[in-house]
Amino acid sequence: MNWVTRPGVHIDRAACAWLIRRHIDPDATFSFGAGPGTAFDMPGAELGHHGGDCTFETMLRHYGLTDPVLWRIAEAVHEADLGDDRFAAPEAPGLDAVVRGLSLLHPDRQVIDLTGPLFDGLYEYHRQRLLLGREPA
Amino acid sequence: MTSGRPVADWVLLSYRLPREPSTPRIAVWRKLTRLGVARIGDGLVALPADARTREQFEWLAQEIGEHGGDATTWLGRPLDPGQEEHMIDELRAARAAEYRRIADQARVAPPEDQVRVLRRLREELRRIGQRDFFPPPERDAAEAALRALTGVEVR
Repeated sequence: MNWVTRPGVHIDRAACAWLIRRHIDPDATFSFGAGPGTAFDMPGAELGHHGGDCTFETMLRHYGLTDPVLWRIAEAVHEADLGDDRFAAPEAPGLDAVVRGLSLLHPDRQVIDLTGPLFDGLYEYHRQRLLLGREPA
Repeated sequence: MTSGRPVADWVLLSYRLPREPSTPRIAVWRKLTRLGVARIGDGLVALPADARTREQFEWLAQEIGEHGGDATTWLGRPLDPGQEEHMIDELRAARAAEYRRIADQARVAPPEDQVRVLRRLREELRRIGQRDFFPPPERDAAEAALRALTGVEVR
């Protein structure tokens, strides 16, 4: 399926693209700006900001994803994107800085390819943290 | 930044929210404060336009709609360069006041509490930096006050 989002990929769109590929649609293709397909993180889209949630959180709700590791990542994405202190996610400012920097260097398509492994790492870190009940080595 | 103007364009948010319930009104007010907007008039705010500020206003406009209000987003600039200067001065002064509060709090931190105060003020400084479009000299003073709290010699 093709997925459409607005150009200028930052933390929320990068995290959503990763979520789509890993947990929703492994064969996903992406368009930036316009195109046929499912819109996400665009004004007016069902998969957007709603009720104080960022798009990543909206997508977890919409697709019924209850994995607590994904919801912990959602806290980091929320704080990096909105910074409203709803959650304690100390990695958020760093994550935001790295993704913003990548978006200054590379076109959107490349940004979502490059940030994929970043979110894989974040997922594994929080998965082990949750299993161990403390920070992994 | 072309033609020597300090701001290429401003993104504006014009909005109306029902007086009651007050919770969404307060939530929107807090968000506008966090974004560091210039308040032009009743229900009209502005920020220097870039991809990020445009997006922030677009989401906020949508949220206002979800709360039963009306909001539209605009791109524009004052016809009078003096008015633009005035807006920039106001934004710079607002951030300067925030930086001064950081510096003041750093200076009065009790010795036994310095680390905790330092952590809190660093976080606040980072937040202020995110909404600082026209850095005033007070920023350097705030940073220096925090460096003094670390007890590390300044290079």
